[in-house]
Amino acid sequence: MQAEAPVGRSSSYDHSLVPPCQSACPLHMEIREYIDLISQGRIMEALHVIRDGNPFPSICAHVCTHPCEDACRRSQVDKPVAIRALKRFAVEFGGDRMIELEANTTHAERVAIVGSGPAGLAAAYYLRKLGYPTTIFEANPELGGMLRVGIPQYRLPRSVLDAEVQRLIQIGVEIRSNTRVASLDLLFEMGYKAVFVTVGAHQSLRMGIEGEESPGVVDGATFLREVNLGLRPSVGNRVAVVGGGNVAIDAAHTALRLGAQEVKVLYRRGRAEMPADGSEIEQALEEGVEILFLVAPSRIKRVDGCLQVICTRFELGEADGSGRRRPVPIENSDFELDFDTLVSAIGQAPQIPQDFRLRIGKGSTIQIDPVTLLTDRPGVFAGGDAVTGPATVTQALAAGRQAAVRIDEYLQHRYPALPKETRAALTTPLLPRTIELVRRVNRLDPPVLPAQDRTGGFAPVELIYDWKTAIDEARRCLRCGAGAEILFQDKCATCLNCLRVCPYEVPQLDASGTLQIPADQCLACGVCVAECPAKAIMLRKPYDRRQVTEELEHALRSALQTSSKPLLVGFCCQYGLFGTGSLAGLWKAASASIWIVPVLCVAKVEEEHLLRAFEMGAEGVFIAGCGAQCARENTGQWVARRIEKVRRALATLGIESERLQALPTDGEEASTVQAVQEFADRVGRLCLTAALKREVRK
Amino acid sequence: MIVAETKPLDEIWRSIAPYSRVLILGCGTCMTVCGAGGEREVSFLADALRMSQARGGEHDHSLLEYTVKRQCDAEFLETFVDRSREVDAILSLGCGVGVQVVADRFPDLPVLPGNNTYFMGASSEWGVWDERCAACGDCRLADTAGVCPITRCTKGILNGPCAGAKNGKCEANKEADCAWILIYQRLERLGQLDKMRRYYPPRNFRVIPRPRRIVNKTQVSTGGNDGQVSV
Amino acid sequence: MAKSLFDEKLADAKFLVTTEVGPPKGTDISEMLHNIDLLKDKVDAINVTDGQSSVMRLASLAGCLIVKERGGEPILQVTCRDRNRLALQADLLFASVRGIANVLCLTGDSVDVGDHKEAKPVFDLDSVQLLKAIRIMEGGKDLGGNDLKGAVQFCAGASVHPAADFIEPQLIKFEKKVAAGAQFFQTQGIYDVGSLRRFMQYASQFPVKILAGIIVLASARMARYMNENVPGVIVPQATIDELATAEKGKGLQKGMEIAARAIRSIKAGGLCHGVHIMAVGNERLVPEILEAAGLT
Repeated sequence: MQAEAPVGRSSSYDHSLVPPCQSACPLHMEIREYIDLISQGRIMEALHVIRDGNPFPSICAHVCTHPCEDACRRSQVDKPVAIRALKRFAVEFGGDRMIELEANTTHAERVAIVGSGPAGLAAAYYLRKLGYPTTIFEANPELGGMLRVGIPQYRLPRSVLDAEVQRLIQIGVEIRSNTRVASLDLLFEMGYKAVFVTVGAHQSLRMGIEGEESPGVVDGATFLREVNLGLRPSVGNRVAVVGGGNVAIDAAHTALRLGAQEVKVLYRRGRAEMPADGSEIEQALEEGVEILFLVAPSRIKRVDGCLQVICTRFELGEADGSGRRRPVPIENSDFELDFDTLVSAIGQAPQIPQDFRLRIGKGSTIQIDPVTLLTDRPGVFAGGDAVTGPATVTQALAAGRQAAVRIDEYLQHRYPALPKETRAALTTPLLPRTIELVRRVNRLDPPVLPAQDRTGGFAPVELIYDWKTAIDEARRCLRCGAGAEILFQDKCATCLNCLRVCPYEVPQLDASGTLQIPADQCLACGVCVAECPAKAIMLRKPYDRRQVTEELEHALRSALQTSSKPLLVGFCCQYGLFGTGSLAGLWKAASASIWIVPVLCVAKVEEEHLLRAFEMGAEGVFIAGCGAQCARENTGQWVARRIEKVRRALATLGIESERLQALPTDGEEASTVQAVQEFADRVGRLCLTAALKREVRK
Repeated sequence: MIVAETKPLDEIWRSIAPYSRVLILGCGTCMTVCGAGGEREVSFLADALRMSQARGGEHDHSLLEYTVKRQCDAEFLETFVDRSREVDAILSLGCGVGVQVVADRFPDLPVLPGNNTYFMGASSEWGVWDERCAACGDCRLADTAGVCPITRCTKGILNGPCAGAKNGKCEANKEADCAWILIYQRLERLGQLDKMRRYYPPRNFRVIPRPRRIVNKTQVSTGGNDGQVSV
Repeated sequence: MAKSLFDEKLADAKFLVTTEVGPPKGTDISEMLHNIDLLKDKVDAINVTDGQSSVMRLASLAGCLIVKERGGEPILQVTCRDRNRLALQADLLFASVRGIANVLCLTGDSVDVGDHKEAKPVFDLDSVQLLKAIRIMEGGKDLGGNDLKGAVQFCAGASVHPAADFIEPQLIKFEKKVAAGAQFFQTQGIYDVGSLRRFMQYASQFPVKILAGIIVLASARMARYMNENVPGVIVPQATIDELATAEKGKGLQKGMEIAARAIRSIKAGGLCHGVHIMAVGNERLVPEILEAAGLT
């Protein structure tokens, strides 16, 4: 399913490494590929890659905890690439286009899914695509599980969730909401051949302190569910939230929006140990939430409608089973705080009905075979929070996707196939020298609502990128593992050109005097590929390898078939503002017929390409790169050098050197278009002069 | 490294004029390293020649391209014998050695040089090549602290310097350091100036008279002599 | 036993004066004849240059023969640029047979500065090896180790550059030339008497005679041209500035003035054993300079 190359790329060998972002993603998304497409302005193609691996990209785009960003090697240089926000940009850009809303029923076996959280929704989507009649059973009136009742609306707008659910309905998944499944036997009696149990973890853990049952004390999951279901519980002015995870922070945010003046979060460990998402914590602090670290309540007393909470101070001791240091209460450190409401959000556990007769293990989770996802009952699969305990949305989606594959294998009596990744994973960090040489570019975060505007309501806090900012942010990607390699060591004369021209000093001579280009350090600028005198260096990804030559041939073939106007060929960088859309207007230029050959950085344009353009009849050739904005280093000097060499050859052939130019661009569209126009005019005049000379000679 | 440069395009164009099918032959060793005749140069030259043709050149050619690992050993040339039968001439982008070995191997084909071979040298930085060795056969770099007076002094004298240096640069080439001033500085640094104070008698210009040959096979006697070997 | 008239004069304590004539680029020797006649009695010896600045001219041997015919004392300048050791030895034999007994041994300017830039530069020997060759031939052998049927006798000299910007290598070379048999030295052009004084402080330990070279400049532009293009000539900025103060058309006057002044101070200071005046095309003015310098 996922690990195959998406549409448009051939099956020739792919020697690239699996980048750390992809390895970290529970869905194993081709992140490097879609970020690269966004940086070229090819958003719809990026969206295609995203949808290929992720059934609900719009949901992830809002709430994914982005393990990819945590693994992103750009953070070794400055800040990680804003992958989640870029994915959201692509998803919002594409809207409803390109979504395949058809699924045929090709199997007779029916599958039941118990629970409509992300795992259940994903499983339903893939099973339906595989052709199975699928039914989702959901106890709540609306679908989504934690997406609906756990995550607040300012993080995941309901419209997004509803749209995804709607699509499931459109592809033919049967929805039975308001239906609590009491026993799995009943499902089998109803004719379902396989069942996927994915009921989530909604049961809040108890604090275990005196006064926990008092009115005014509510558990986090219940609190959020009530709010998300449309109720507006009154929380008073002073609210305490106990806990340090995302539920606690969500509760704190929510309390503010319900009108609390003072919200304090009590967490028994320190900031470093707090599991909530960093940016969520920042936003909470901005909105005025106060976090008390190393504090936890030990007793609650309700007096005259107010909660008197006795708090104890803690210090960190030895590490416990989770690897975090255990909080140890400090003697005689008690103090009192008063609140109107206390929300206890110290964790959740699944609550599996006994009648399911499934084997339950530690933390009340369902026990499964890790490969087949089967429980100890035949035909019953499980996944999501019900199996792992509270985890992330993306992990649940991955579980649902895998469950669909396993259920399919089970029903078709196939041996469970283990997915084979033919490429090695990139696991090493960047070398200090490489880091030094990469140009620092500040991370461009998407705009957010100002803090004071947020607490008024539940509108989404994070806004969307504009086109230019998105592309600029996507260009920061280092393209880990997709670089160049000395493919033909027998052709390599060890001339050391690649070692000398590399802007990042990546190629290395090993102990036996053989040149290697370490796959984990190369940043794929393409300079060495074009400079190697033996043509021994190739880019690892098949698309990159063929790209310039094929695009050039295509442009030349098309050009020759059309206009009678003088032909100008322009090699234009696809990154930045030279995305396919921006320069399309040039095609309509009156004085010449301009064909753009899009290249992924002008450093990859070789001398032969330039010569070939002239050979095939171009009257003028120009190169337009990103200039000072080029995300790779020093590409301008290589372009200049190659142009000089080709000009000398052209001079011998009687072709004026002005016909080949690198256009000075500052990355702005308007000035580039103008530069191209001027170039076209100049070439036009040269053509006229040449024509006149021919006439005179006759 | 042997360092060469590709001949001017018009000179090559004229030299292939009488031949309708030409094989452009590259070399994967020295000529690749100095950028004069590797695979990339071969295809660039072929493109340029085709363009020359297309732009109304008087003669018409079909051009084949091939690059061997080295042209100076005949075994490598066996790999394109079949191609050689399809052409009327070979344009070799090897160094002068390569051109001649190819010509020896294909005596029925005209073999044309596409490069001018200049010297044996080293590159101090990317794209810059300096001659370092004249193959004099009588190396005396121990006496000159590793600076060759024959290649780096324009007059090649052994008791230098002459009086022509200005600002430490040679009278013949203002960008080149005076080799003898360099030698002085190096010897001074090594504490070996007495080597410069010595009188060096005239060079033997014919250590191995041209045409030069070295035979480093050892002779082995066969039979007789009770199996003893006389070398 | 002195090897030549000039050799005798070297032994005197007298302040020596030599000058040079350049042969023509062709067969018209009228001007050269005129200059030789003008100068032969006013100087102790006349150098005949050998393809100076690598410009092809009549051979210096021919010029020396003419000097001798006209009654002057010739110094044969021999460069190693154009002839291999066979030809050099043959020329020395010729010179000896025809009574030319003074030789100035030079390495020679490089072919690049001259007017036949594609010629093959020979440099089979350098100046030190040439001096040595003369001494070997005086011993009755040639450089191949063969016996000579009739040896040679030469008063041999060489050149030195006291104002070189890297002086230590020049001094090493100077010592090698002395060790190889040089008896006298004619220096490159001197403008700054101080540099000559410093050089002489070092050179006076050696039993050789030093004649300071004096080049007659005609204009600031000529000085700059020589700085750029003529090997061995370094005209200091102070001299160029002084030349530039001359009125239009009076540049040569100024140059002669500078030359005469330099000669006077060298003689008065007893700095070295004489001067070698290089008039570079203005040989007819040498008598006037000598007079202005008080050397007549």
